Amino acid sequence: MKLDAIDTTILDMMKKDARISLREIARLLKVSPDTISNRVEKLQQQGIILSSTVVVDPTQIGYSFITRFGINVKPAYATQVLEKIIKIPSVIIASRVVGNYDLVAIGVVKNFQHLYTLRDIILEMPYVENVELGMWINTMEICPHYFLI
Amino acid sequence: MSDFKLDELDIKILRMLQGDARKPFQEIAEHCGVSTDTIKNRFNTMTKKGLIRGTTIVIDPKEVDQNLIVSIGIQVTNPYAEQVLALVKKITGMCVVTRSVGRYDIEAVAILKDIEQINTIKNTIGDFQQVKNVDIEIWVDKPLLCPKNFEFEETRQ
Repeated sequence: MKLDAIDTTILDMMKKDARISLREIARLLKVSPDTISNRVEKLQQQGIILSSTVVVDPTQIGYSFITRFGINVKPAYATQVLEKIIKIPSVIIASRVVGNYDLVAIGVVKNFQHLYTLRDIILEMPYVENVELGMWINTMEICPHYFLI
Repeated sequence: MSDFKLDELDIKILRMLQGDARKPFQEIAEHCGVSTDTIKNRFNTMTKKGLIRGTTIVIDPKEVDQNLIVSIGIQVTNPYAEQVLALVKKITGMCVVTRSVGRYDIEAVAILKDIEQINTIKNTIGDFQQVKNVDIEIWVDKPLLCPKNFEFEETRQ
């Protein structure tokens, strides 16, 4: 889908504040509020806007660091394992990858005990062959423009 | 860590907004059995305390001309990690760059336009004198995002 100037302005403004009133965007772009709400609906239907969320500071709710899990699985089972991994509490993003690993997951971790538990949960899943950890230091942010914490 | 304590109502509000940041406060109020003003006040307090940093939409980066997400693992000769980190941060397309403990000394996630750009980045990083090795993982399909996976119970004491 080709995005025009109205679409990209909507995306930019909603990235900074998902609760912004559509009326306000309409006023800025000098178009009718209906146009904006139609566009937003379309952007959602087309899967360009996947969802909206509140951005919380993980350090304020008991999390201490982010860990990247590099996971190797038996070929052909990657998607199946991925679907299970994304359901683990604390995992905030996961994807199939091409490279050293078959899957990469990024999660927020409370402490080392919690980290062990997470690793074991993944290791015990059927078809998982290996889990490698990378603990991120002093970083509690994953690109504010695209997602998340 | 801050000494800000969440109560049950705060957590309910956060949970509802995690799934849909545009949910009207009125609807949340009805669901929680309190007034819309209460919800508004709680939201504002959590924002003022820095617990809520803001609200955002999650966009599929593949739909907006940026086709590739890659994670990058870099091994660096000690003690140059900070130096290399500063250089890598300047490369366009990077969305996280961080020191790391594990196989790599530095890890990064970048959103890029095409394979060629991956190659350029790999070479740029590899060219830094103190870099021993650069590994790249290319993310395929749609990454699954789960902002709902935060657990809030921890701060309730």
